[in-house]
Amino acid sequence: MAMNNIFSALCAILGDAGRWLRGRAAALLSFAAADHPYVYLSGSALSLAAALTYIFSQRYGFFLSRPLWVWTALALCGAFCLASLAALASKLRLKRRYRAGSRFCAPAARRAARYGSYVIWTVAALTLADRLHVLYQVVREVMAMDTNPSPFFQAMVYMFYNSRALFLRGLWTTLRLAFFGTIFGFLLAVGLVFLRIQTPSKRDWDHVKLIKILCSRFAALYATVVRGTPMMLQAFIIYYAGFGLFKGHTDLTITEINTIWSFFIAGLTTVSLNSAAYLSEVLRGGVESIDAGQTEAARSLGMSSWMTMMKVVFPQALKNSIPAIGNEMIINIKDSSVLNCIGVVELMYAATSVAGIYYKNLPNYVSAAIIYLIMTCCISAILNKLSARLSLNTYRGVPSSN
Amino acid sequence: MEPILSIQGLEKSFGPLKVLKGIDLDVQKGEVVCIIGASGSGKSTLLRCLNLLEEPDSGHIWFGGQDLTDLDADLDGLRQRIGMVFQGFNLFNNKNVLDNCTLAPISVKHIPRAQAEETAIHHLRTVGLGEFIHADSRRLSGGQKQRVAIARALCMEPEIMLFDEPTSALDPEIVGEVLDVMKTLAREGMTMVVVTHEMAFAKEVSDRVVFMDQGVILEQGTPAEVFGSPREARTREFLSRYLEDKGI
Repeated sequence: MAMNNIFSALCAILGDAGRWLRGRAAALLSFAAADHPYVYLSGSALSLAAALTYIFSQRYGFFLSRPLWVWTALALCGAFCLASLAALASKLRLKRRYRAGSRFCAPAARRAARYGSYVIWTVAALTLADRLHVLYQVVREVMAMDTNPSPFFQAMVYMFYNSRALFLRGLWTTLRLAFFGTIFGFLLAVGLVFLRIQTPSKRDWDHVKLIKILCSRFAALYATVVRGTPMMLQAFIIYYAGFGLFKGHTDLTITEINTIWSFFIAGLTTVSLNSAAYLSEVLRGGVESIDAGQTEAARSLGMSSWMTMMKVVFPQALKNSIPAIGNEMIINIKDSSVLNCIGVVELMYAATSVAGIYYKNLPNYVSAAIIYLIMTCCISAILNKLSARLSLNTYRGVPSSN
Repeated sequence: MEPILSIQGLEKSFGPLKVLKGIDLDVQKGEVVCIIGASGSGKSTLLRCLNLLEEPDSGHIWFGGQDLTDLDADLDGLRQRIGMVFQGFNLFNNKNVLDNCTLAPISVKHIPRAQAEETAIHHLRTVGLGEFIHADSRRLSGGQKQRVAIARALCMEPEIMLFDEPTSALDPEIVGEVLDVMKTLAREGMTMVVVTHEMAFAKEVSDRVVFMDQGVILEQGTPAEVFGSPREARTREFLSRYLEDKGI
């Protein structure tokens, strides 16, 4: 009983302490968040970064002396830190009257801070320009070398420059795989989705009902199988199955088969068949997202189900699916990398080959990663532009008089 | 006179729920029939059965000498002759106003585009939308959308028009503009079957009022009979509650 009382008293005290602490923390936070020129601090951080860049870098500027630059940046950093501290002191002194009463909140102080920020920006921009110049110099030097340098960045540039033909061939193959793979995949997906959405109705003849059910089941099964197995495995199966077909049913020699059923063709087939499964699901979602009312309206006007699909539902579904189709293209750029397993000379294969030539792995894989990133960013920027334009056109129909 | 539309013993269930329990109804040419009744009484289902948007379980629907429920009936051909207007407008979102109206005449009846557009513009003017011919159909107000939907149905030159609560999704303020179009249609002699909650409209325009309750037609007659001296207690109850709610 006594223990119980002590325990509950303890709990009460702890609870009170917790509430008090929480209250203090909240008050402190709101004090810190209240109007304060934090831009001073960010300005000092930026100039500190500029200074550190010069203190720690091996090579430095072509247009300024290093100590002068470092001291300028540090001085700016110090000035902004001091201003920030002074503002804090003023805030602590004035508390709630800070905003109305402090000189740091006066328009003159704000203007001074703005001009100070221009100085900071100049310093940062000059530093960046200088770094880019150094980068350019390094790259030029590396390109002139005839042995592989040991520093990471230099080695990366050296190997990329000296195997650029292979890298570019890989890049070009990757782009072709992604582009044509998505297009063929899309065409197949359109076919698949038409099979998929077949639903037997009471009015169909029995054999039509059967065919519709079989078509729909086939499309569903296809999507399940393809989406449920790894693409690398699909690539192996498609390549060897195709090879086996040619070998078993024709009199071609292995060299001839390799020309017809090349790694690239097998890879493209893999990407296309793979994308078809994913895109058919995307399109099916698009078709299902169009409200049934529009279908009913079209049917009530005497349009057949096929015509309703072609003229009303599918155009809208397609338009809604465009972002997802673009996304599939970006995925294909990245996922086509698994095709190096069947020997398609795409970017991943190129990077691995170069790594094998120089016995250096990491720099080449980082190069490949950078190229993939550039490709995906460019494609997604283009796609964003495209879809923005498309949706603009959608809303162009402002009511107008005839 | 041979009725244009004749319904015999129509039954329809959704799973275990029996929505229509044997409906018999004849509609004469040029007649305006309003179907009233509480929500869930089966009026919309009945209307949707009339052009086979819902497949009835049993019974017959005779239209122009053909049985729609016959499994070998040319459904698309018959539907061309039956116009329908929906509660939710159901305009084609990928088409502008004019294309909404010309799509079916051009693709189904193979009318030349110029002629189809001429007809469409005529009907759009009739419903008061002459200025919105090239407007994006998504940008219209509800009342305008519904009037486009009516014009779209008229462009097929139907012999009968079905209206499925055409004003239920509209603001009270713009219900009038749709009802006015419907009144004009009725005056011009269009055969109409209207499911509605607008009792004033039913009273004013219809030749016959049909009261449905729990899947059967409980009572039908002229507006004066049904509204003035309903025979069934359920009809009286419905009407009095309805008029009370409406504050009329």
